[in-house]
Amino acid sequence: MLQVREVGYRYGHRRNWLRPRKENSFVLNQVTFELNHSSCLSILGTSGAGKSTLGRVVLGLQKPHQGQVLFEGQDLYAASGRFRKNLRRDIQVVFQDCYSSVNPLMTADQIIGEPLRNYERLSARELKRKTGELLEKVGLSVEDGNKRPDQFSGGQLQRINIARAIALRPKLIVLDEPVSSLDRVHQSLILDLLAELKASLGVSYLFITHDIQAAMTLCDRVAVMDRGEIVHLSDSPASLWNSQQTAVKNLIESVLPDHPGDRLTLF
Amino acid sequence: MMTDSVLEVCNLNIHCPKPKGSCDKQRGLSLLASVNLELKRGKVLGLVGESGSGKSLTCGAILQMLQDRGLDTQGSIKLHGQELNGLRGEKMRRIRGKDIGYIMQNPMNAFTPVYSIGSQFIETLRSHFKISKKEAKIQAHQALEEMNLHHPDQVMKSYPHELSGGMLQRVMIAISMCLRPSILIADEPTTALDAVNQIKVLRELERLKTECGTSVLLVSHDLGVIAQAADEVAVMRKGEIVEYADVHELFDNPRHEYTRMLLQARPGIGQGA
Repeated sequence: MLQVREVGYRYGHRRNWLRPRKENSFVLNQVTFELNHSSCLSILGTSGAGKSTLGRVVLGLQKPHQGQVLFEGQDLYAASGRFRKNLRRDIQVVFQDCYSSVNPLMTADQIIGEPLRNYERLSARELKRKTGELLEKVGLSVEDGNKRPDQFSGGQLQRINIARAIALRPKLIVLDEPVSSLDRVHQSLILDLLAELKASLGVSYLFITHDIQAAMTLCDRVAVMDRGEIVHLSDSPASLWNSQQTAVKNLIESVLPDHPGDRLTLF
Repeated sequence: MMTDSVLEVCNLNIHCPKPKGSCDKQRGLSLLASVNLELKRGKVLGLVGESGSGKSLTCGAILQMLQDRGLDTQGSIKLHGQELNGLRGEKMRRIRGKDIGYIMQNPMNAFTPVYSIGSQFIETLRSHFKISKKEAKIQAHQALEEMNLHHPDQVMKSYPHELSGGMLQRVMIAISMCLRPSILIADEPTTALDAVNQIKVLRELERLKTECGTSVLLVSHDLGVIAQAADEVAVMRKGEIVEYADVHELFDNPRHEYTRMLLQARPGIGQGA
């Protein structure tokens, strides 16, 4: 479904005599991977590895300087306006910071209904019914629809973001650290919800995270990024444990113990 | 055993008074109810609980930073036998930083963006000790080196936005370490960091504990961090401490239902790392 071919991206590329171009400043370098229907690829890596940039490139927000992004066989960035509008409908996103990804002046109903208003001609009653359904699907109640973002907790608001993302029944959702700002209890609840939605809607996830444990619960394929390159890409998440790559090893070694008996020796 | 204890929090209550001009029906809110904590020398006390359970509020109360927010703090907070609750202004300012170090969740917001790391470091040292700028600079340099930050000179010259979150957090710990506090309050020190940087920060906290004998109050919602670093754990829920036990005891047989739920909420990883 999604094919990313040798994508390269660099920031600050607009060069002039005050800003000479730096060599090797690629944030993404020759990134290549594929993602199939109703599967979940998780992109792991430390901060600054280029995970989020990759997410934005896949979303169609930043045109890569090299390579192509193909969605259903069509080049995402070469497509004409109308076609891109339809592509956008099929690719949705959930960001880490749930508070800044919603308009604080809108009610939950309006937030969730926004994509529906943009793409589907629905009567007000239909819209209300649909947003109600979506709210229930993510584990909130219909009455929550009249509340505004500041009346929700982080976990609840993240559910609203997810409801907005699934409103148009997209084929792909980019999850950019969707659980990192939540506490463990809510993390596992949100992960359960995401797994459930994947099974019921058949949607694919590009799950960007630095948390191996969160990734393991959801994904069926893993990629590890380090300094803009994919250093490990595999169909079985378990293969991480056999990898010889330093970046992968660092990630594995930084998994905290489940029990004080298995403490890591730090120095 | 009494001499062992560095900080004692007894019967701490925090109350949010009713807003001015509100009708009689509206009552104030109780935010913390009889919290008791004891921090022993060279030990790490973990404080766990979900968001909104009052963890950060407890830290704020120990540092006496809640009066400005109009909250009513009652109870006793004793540092080496000295009562902190009610201390104001200059007196409290001397204790903050010098005796009680504080590391906050978001290292990006902890520094002023307009001054270099070095000048902020030196300013902090000079406000607590009578030393020259040169001496302060040497100390800062040493502390940064000890924190496993490579090229300390470069770090001193750089501005907060030029460093990563993990590096800034280690600079924060370096500053705290220089002041040699008897207690360090670490309020979610690794929440904003990725897993690899998290381990680095925990390593430095561990060193602070073993090498300087600093007691640490480690606030976290991540039981992995607690399992790794804490000696004793207090579990908070809705402003109350529901369980207080040794870390092994807590993980092996959690007594309170809520603790059990927290322990179960950890996603399993499948493979043994």
